[in-house]
Amino acid sequence: MSWRPVKAVVGREMSKLFRQRARLISSMVRPMIWLLVIGSGVGSMLQGPQQDGYLTFLVPGILAMTLLFASLLSALTLVYDKEFGVMRMMMIAPIAHYWIVISKLIAATLTAMVQAILLLVLLLILGLISVKIAVMLLLPALLTAICCAAIGGLIAVWSKSIDNFAVIMNFFIFPVFFLSGALYPVNQLPAYLHYVVQVNPFSYGVDLLKHAVPNVDTDFSITTDIAVLVGFSTVAILIACWRFSRESVHEPLFHRVTKRP
Amino acid sequence: MDSNLAIRTRGLTKHYGSQTTAVNNLDLDIEAGQFYGLLGPNGAGKSTTIHMLTTMTSPTSGEAWIDNKQVSANPVAIRTAVGLVFQDSALDRTMSVDENLQFAAAMYNLPPKQANQRIDELLSVFGLQEKRKQKLLALSGGQRRAVDIARGVLHKPKVLFLDEPTIGLDLPNRRAIWRFVEQLRRNEGMTVFLTTHYLEEAEACDHVDFFQKGQLLSGGKPSTLIEQLAEYILEINSPDPQQTIAQLSPIFGTPIQEDQQLSFKIAAHDVDFFQLQKTLGDTISSMQWRRPNLNDVYLWVVCHPSKGNQA
Repeated sequence: MSWRPVKAVVGREMSKLFRQRARLISSMVRPMIWLLVIGSGVGSMLQGPQQDGYLTFLVPGILAMTLLFASLLSALTLVYDKEFGVMRMMMIAPIAHYWIVISKLIAATLTAMVQAILLLVLLLILGLISVKIAVMLLLPALLTAICCAAIGGLIAVWSKSIDNFAVIMNFFIFPVFFLSGALYPVNQLPAYLHYVVQVNPFSYGVDLLKHAVPNVDTDFSITTDIAVLVGFSTVAILIACWRFSRESVHEPLFHRVTKRP
Repeated sequence: MDSNLAIRTRGLTKHYGSQTTAVNNLDLDIEAGQFYGLLGPNGAGKSTTIHMLTTMTSPTSGEAWIDNKQVSANPVAIRTAVGLVFQDSALDRTMSVDENLQFAAAMYNLPPKQANQRIDELLSVFGLQEKRKQKLLALSGGQRRAVDIARGVLHKPKVLFLDEPTIGLDLPNRRAIWRFVEQLRRNEGMTVFLTTHYLEEAEACDHVDFFQKGQLLSGGKPSTLIEQLAEYILEINSPDPQQTIAQLSPIFGTPIQEDQQLSFKIAAHDVDFFQLQKTLGDTISSMQWRRPNLNDVYLWVVCHPSKGNQA
């Protein structure tokens, strides 16, 4: 196995990312709205020193949000490419099919990291974080990006078409984000939601990011965070690869053609 | 096993669910370097056959060999040996011709220098050198198809599968595509496996097989099949077809009837059509005779085998 096909798949996604500059810039709008509008709004309801604290608290949260959206949506190009037929160009190539999943998830992770770094630069400019914190956030961000790509990979290999996009948004992205402790401390949630947060792998990414920012309370230990992220990502990627290698998954892609009246 | 076979299948069968049998017990022996055509109507199972031979789907039972390699044993090796041009484009419309081909070449693990050379070579065969940097969307349907074919042969496959390569194209573009395929065959000596339902396009094949409901019906060299069918095809338009049939079938056999249109197969080469026209006189509205083609073979042998056997 040579790395050239992997590089080609990753390169294609990267060139698309940088070509669509409007998309790249707009991906910065969402976290900024959360930070400046929601952050300030909710923050204003808090008292005194808690006000500033909330904005700092939100930094890992919105960074995690950027990673989640970027990585997961990029992983979903597995479904887009299938829908638009381009996937067949990869399927007919002389590589084992699981390499397509691995390449796409590497691309998703890199896409998320590009957006995360862009956001960190913005946060630096706004004076919300120091250079030291920005650098400290990079490694947790990478692990979170891989975890989100793995979640995206799992969703993608089970999705038949992009028609499911709204379903994916409502049933996966929003719950995964809101039930993660990205916006509020987990220990203040009601008990039953506490459990949901604990089974959500993304929570551990958020928590690891929180560890990198001083004066932000965390819910789990760094070791737990890393163990869960690495463990979940490995298992999820293996399952996605296994599922994608089963040709019945692609039968609609090919059968569609033969069934045409 | 005969080492000169590019494609060999034994009992190749594909079921979709419990109801649909797409391909049923297919045995093929296709020699290396041949231009082979699998002909049949939509839904006959042609694409499924191609997908089984190119590892895109696996057979329910039976086995296939490409270039003497068992298809199920090593799919990755098979994908190195075959090129596949899908029925609808597999290219990325948002990227340029060059980006698409560079991407495909990298997927085939071609080093950039070699890939560039090959892309140059193929685009010049297809007359598309000037379009290299253009977005795929800026190309015509025929040009896009040509790029699709170029994509399929970048890695110089031993066997090229073309699944309905001219579907949806106008006549000049269809002709152009066939010129390219011919040139590729001449330059590179690859075996070409074609499916089409534009039968006249398959007349250049070395061998064609008719395929229906997942089964092979009959086949041979197109010119031989045409020769064996008849000397002439006589087409008569008659306001009273039954009377014309009664009049002519004792001489020419049962025709194929489509409303008022009758087609007779004429085996003799010395029929006096002018005399016949005089005899029929006002009872018919038009009459023409012509040499048969592959469409006629298909109509007589595949669609109306009982009539085909009579004469």
